[in-house]
Amino acid sequence: MEHLLEIKDLNVQFNIFGSTVQAVRGVSLQLNQGETLAIVGESGSGKSVTSKAIMGLIPNPPGEIASGEILFQGKNLVHYSKKQMQKIRGKEISMIFQDPMTALNPTMRIGKQIIEGLIKHQSMPKSVARDRAVELLTLVGIPNPEKRVDEYPHQFSGGMRQRVVIAIALACHPNILIADEPTTALDVTIQAQILDLLKELQRKRHTSIILITHDLGVVANIADRVAVMYGGKIVETGTLDEIFYQPKHPYTWGLLSSMPKLHSKAKKLQAIPGSPPDLSDPPQGCPFAPRCPYAMKVCQEHMPDQAVLSDTQRTACWLLDDRAPKVEPPETIRAGGE
Amino acid sequence: MAYYILKRIGYMLLTFFIVITLTFLSMKLLPGTPFKQQNRLTPEQLNQLMHYYGLDQPVPVQYVRYLWNFIHGDLGGSFQYGMQPVTDFLWQRFPVSLQLGIEAMIVGTIFGILFGVIAGMYRSTTLDWGTMAFSVVGFSIPSFIFAAILQYVFGVQLRLFPVAGWNDPWNHVLPVISLAIGVTAEVARFMRTEMVEVLSQDYIVTAEAKGLASSAIVMKHGIRNALIPIVTVLGPLTAAVVTGSLVIENIFTIPGIGTQFVESVVTNDYPMIMATTEVYAGLYIVTIFIVDILYGVIDPRIRVSGGGK
Repeated sequence: MEHLLEIKDLNVQFNIFGSTVQAVRGVSLQLNQGETLAIVGESGSGKSVTSKAIMGLIPNPPGEIASGEILFQGKNLVHYSKKQMQKIRGKEISMIFQDPMTALNPTMRIGKQIIEGLIKHQSMPKSVARDRAVELLTLVGIPNPEKRVDEYPHQFSGGMRQRVVIAIALACHPNILIADEPTTALDVTIQAQILDLLKELQRKRHTSIILITHDLGVVANIADRVAVMYGGKIVETGTLDEIFYQPKHPYTWGLLSSMPKLHSKAKKLQAIPGSPPDLSDPPQGCPFAPRCPYAMKVCQEHMPDQAVLSDTQRTACWLLDDRAPKVEPPETIRAGGE
Repeated sequence: MAYYILKRIGYMLLTFFIVITLTFLSMKLLPGTPFKQQNRLTPEQLNQLMHYYGLDQPVPVQYVRYLWNFIHGDLGGSFQYGMQPVTDFLWQRFPVSLQLGIEAMIVGTIFGILFGVIAGMYRSTTLDWGTMAFSVVGFSIPSFIFAAILQYVFGVQLRLFPVAGWNDPWNHVLPVISLAIGVTAEVARFMRTEMVEVLSQDYIVTAEAKGLASSAIVMKHGIRNALIPIVTVLGPLTAAVVTGSLVIENIFTIPGIGTQFVESVVTNDYPMIMATTEVYAGLYIVTIFIVDILYGVIDPRIRVSGGGK
């Protein structure tokens, strides 16, 4: 089956002050119709840059896609011109952003912000587009949409604004919705509402979602498949169950252990010691090696290949090599996953 | 909104009153009398004149009497011009200054915004540096230098435009340009900064993510938001241009209020000093008021009590 979106060996770099930061280093991903793929990782792991690359929104200069392919319905978006990308953005692939407080233009009525894309992509007359805006606001659960469509962003609360941002993203029935930390800036109760909304919209419209997050709680709630990124690389991918119940990469273990648990007896939150690698001088071997409690000599020197563990699970770790000592995941993981 | 405007008008009147008071008191500190040939007059004659015009009375009495007349619309007569009412002069000369100032502001603002937007859009390119270099030059050199240069090159050498006067539209070109250069420079500088700031905002990325063309993004999402802070600069700038044009008025012999102002201070023409200051102060206060109202029109967030959460 052909994937809706397939990323092959993507490399993105930023040339800043004479040094080159390799933010994304050989990422390969697939996204199927109607599924939700979560890309998980800490700040600076390259997850947002990957999503921006899909949208063609890498600011150039200083950024550039150095190599790789982004195949959307079989067509390579990397070679698309500015004009061609404008026809993809908002229409085929949409994006919702982290901070709804700043993602909307403060001086434009939200109705107008919603229909801008419609007018551009579907050459819809304004009066029709307005009705569509009201429909969209109803769809994302904004009460009294007839009236609110003419209001300004400052008249909405944070959660309501994020609904508006989602309405904007959904306006043209995109195939793919990229959600870059859509709940990070929101209250916990609102977070759940927004995630429920995304799930419901996906069920109704069969949109594929790429969810960028560092919040494993969000991932457990919504994702079908998970890709764990670290140091500009994907270190492990698998189905939600595989990542939560049979993780094989020490970084995934670390992520799962650092998740707070209700029934845990430990008084302190688990943290992964150390900090992420400097991507202007990326390590030769596995980027996680300096922080990995199981690191071997080979880890420092060579990047491991992706070991195929199942149809869906791939893990890049030397521990999975036949010659490596057998290591059991830490206590906290085996108990975890509730 | 009506309440807000009423309150603002109250404050404006208060400000105006304070200006009148301070001007009146400091004016009385000026040495000399308003009488042209005071050196030839005997002390008795001088006293007689002072008594005739009520200038021998204590300053507070004169002040209260001035206010009383002012409220009744009597601004007094000009000592220099045989007690002819000063309002006659104001009606004649103020429109000229206002016209010069407004023309310069319009030209300056349009070009300033244009240059600022271009520099902001193409920041760190030759275009940006060129525009900003022009801006620094225009900002640093006073308008009368430009006036003299323009007058010499286009008036005297090339004979394209008249060097003096005001009646013909051609007369306006050189003085308006001289004044507008500074305005352009100032507005361009601000506009560039604001454009750079606005174009780095999240909602610009949202607009890009909708698939809008960059020109549409700059026009619809960029400029309007960048304009908001510019409006605040425009108010004081307008006042500064209208009130600061007196040197330009002199260079091009434009019959405006600026010349009148200087003359009145030099000759101790009390009613004229008061009247011209009042015009300037009133103009300043009203411009700032208009700017505040405009601010609300452009930026819905600060529209006073206009619906909301």
